[in-house]
Amino acid sequence: MAALSEWESKLALGDVPRPRERLTATAAEAVAFARTLGGPVVAKASGPVHKTERGGVRTRLGPEGLASVWEELAALGDGRVLVAEQVEADYELIVGGVRDPQFGPVVSVGLGGVAAELLRDVTFLLAPPRPGELELALAELRCAPLLRGWRGAPPADRAELTRIVAAVSRLLEEDEEVVEVDCNPVMVRGGRPLVVDALVVRR
Amino acid sequence: MSALEAVFRPGSVAVYGASRHPAKLGHVLLRNVLTGGFEGRVVAVNPSREEVLGRRSVDRLGEPVDLALISVPARAVPAAVEDAARAGCRAAIVLSSGFGETGPEGKWVEERMRGLARAAGMRLVGPNCMGVVSRLPGGWFNGSYFWRLPGAAGPVSLVSQSGAFGGMFFAEARRRGLGVARFLSVGNSADVELTEVLEWLADDPATGVVGVFAEGFRDGRRFVAAAERCTARKPVVVLKAGKQAAGARAAASHTGSLAGSHGAARAAFRRAGVIEAVDSDHFFDLLSALAASTVPAGPSLAVLTISGGPGVLAADAAERLGLRLPPPSEATRARVRELAPPFAAGGNPVDLTPQCPPAGFPAAVRAVFEDPAYDGVVVIDCGLDVAELGRGVAEAAAATGKPVTAFVLEAPRVEEALRAAGIPLLPSPERAVAAYQARVAVAPRPDREAG
Repeated sequence: MAALSEWESKLALGDVPRPRERLTATAAEAVAFARTLGGPVVAKASGPVHKTERGGVRTRLGPEGLASVWEELAALGDGRVLVAEQVEADYELIVGGVRDPQFGPVVSVGLGGVAAELLRDVTFLLAPPRPGELELALAELRCAPLLRGWRGAPPADRAELTRIVAAVSRLLEEDEEVVEVDCNPVMVRGGRPLVVDALVVRR
Repeated sequence: MSALEAVFRPGSVAVYGASRHPAKLGHVLLRNVLTGGFEGRVVAVNPSREEVLGRRSVDRLGEPVDLALISVPARAVPAAVEDAARAGCRAAIVLSSGFGETGPEGKWVEERMRGLARAAGMRLVGPNCMGVVSRLPGGWFNGSYFWRLPGAAGPVSLVSQSGAFGGMFFAEARRRGLGVARFLSVGNSADVELTEVLEWLADDPATGVVGVFAEGFRDGRRFVAAAERCTARKPVVVLKAGKQAAGARAAASHTGSLAGSHGAARAAFRRAGVIEAVDSDHFFDLLSALAASTVPAGPSLAVLTISGGPGVLAADAAERLGLRLPPPSEATRARVRELAPPFAAGGNPVDLTPQCPPAGFPAAVRAVFEDPAYDGVVVIDCGLDVAELGRGVAEAAAATGKPVTAFVLEAPRVEEALRAAGIPLLPSPERAVAAYQARVAVAPRPDREAG
């Protein structure tokens, strides 16, 4: 089993909505990129699995803060640091993919965040999904009203969500060696889902 | 004749292990075949060639029959399978246990028997199963260990990975007056497995509703394809056992395992248009509702009652299941006001109250049935045994053609009228609503081509 790094996983997923982000090779490059984003950023060590547990993720950094942690984060991983715009989520989703021993590749969509394991509000789709199936699956979620637009918020963008689900499905379909895909979290802000972190595990 | 044709509609049958001892399963099996109503030729096979139930037995089959039923000790099974294959049988059902369920060695014997059968062009059902029950023009063909059969012939067929569940099925069928067409227990599925049986039932004209009891699917995608083909013609209701074991494995933090593999099964059922039952009560409720009619129903429901509290329970269940409970039209409300007491509730539930004059029931009931706001009606009657109410419901249902399910408690005349009208009676208000929902679930979906 080999887990791809976050950056490799995102490249494997291909064209999915993501925050603006860049894998930086020097602190100077990182700071320059952060300035173009114009707001607080997240800096993540590149390479190690469980980067959060190992202190490899720093949030809400300005350019100076980023400069001060860059070397430390680079040393935790492969010498590079992933810099991304800070996304403040209205809520989080998890989009995953596994190979079911009986039904083959399946994609899951569920409510993310700290209560994900508590609530276990997740629905599955056979991969590749057929047109219309995602909508039916989402309707089975207890958090379906949230996705339809809770308390006047815009609904979760179905086209963007469909792209994420399709990307996970395609990875499982095209590469027999992929055993698990995890887009977690998919942060939803103003109805727009963004794959903030991703993990692809190959056999 | 296809192998499953031979299983469900054999012209001739051999029983291996036919024994004189009434306690032996082979004896039970032969007696069941002989007394169920099977009109074809029956050959008893027994190495001692003794006379069993008044017929001579043979030690080898020697001549082809359509179906061999094998109930001999495990160690003698391979020889029986070989004998049946050599004689030219189309199919054999091995009811005996002691194979794959005991370990890898038993699994290996299964493999060998399957090879033996296939080489001779014979298919194998089982081992470790309860056999087959099938309704034929002359009566029941009972090639099973069950000595109590369903009371009535009808549209419901069951393929089951559990033999014992077949016993529950027959008991429920008798209790509910549910008409049965076919039953097959597939046991260890050494050769013929559930999906292949589903494919056959899809084409079986006697089968109008298919029930599936499954613990697992050998080839999940093939099941989906078969079930999808079947649901285009007739409803398929699945009871999946082992949902919780999957959930228990779900400790890992990643989504994929959050709901375990039952999530994948649900996705498969959704795609195939299969209705999944929550538990065995729900399973039989769904089969009862669909046995009455498979015409799709809309989600807009009237709860028609004379019993306040139970009516509210039905309304709760309806909302939980995603059904709609619109209020009656002004015209309906006015009509109900004319016929029922002033304190009758003209909302939804429509509560006519026990004080409604008996003569008023037929017209009040009719008004609710005819209200265009409603696709169908659930009737709740606790203890009001007024013939006019039963007659009113039966007449209104017939006149409007709207789907109805009912919960009737201790009101024999009402019960009788509804039963005679073919209205499914369920054991609780909530289950009456859930059974109604089965008719909604068979409606064509936007993501599927209409069957």
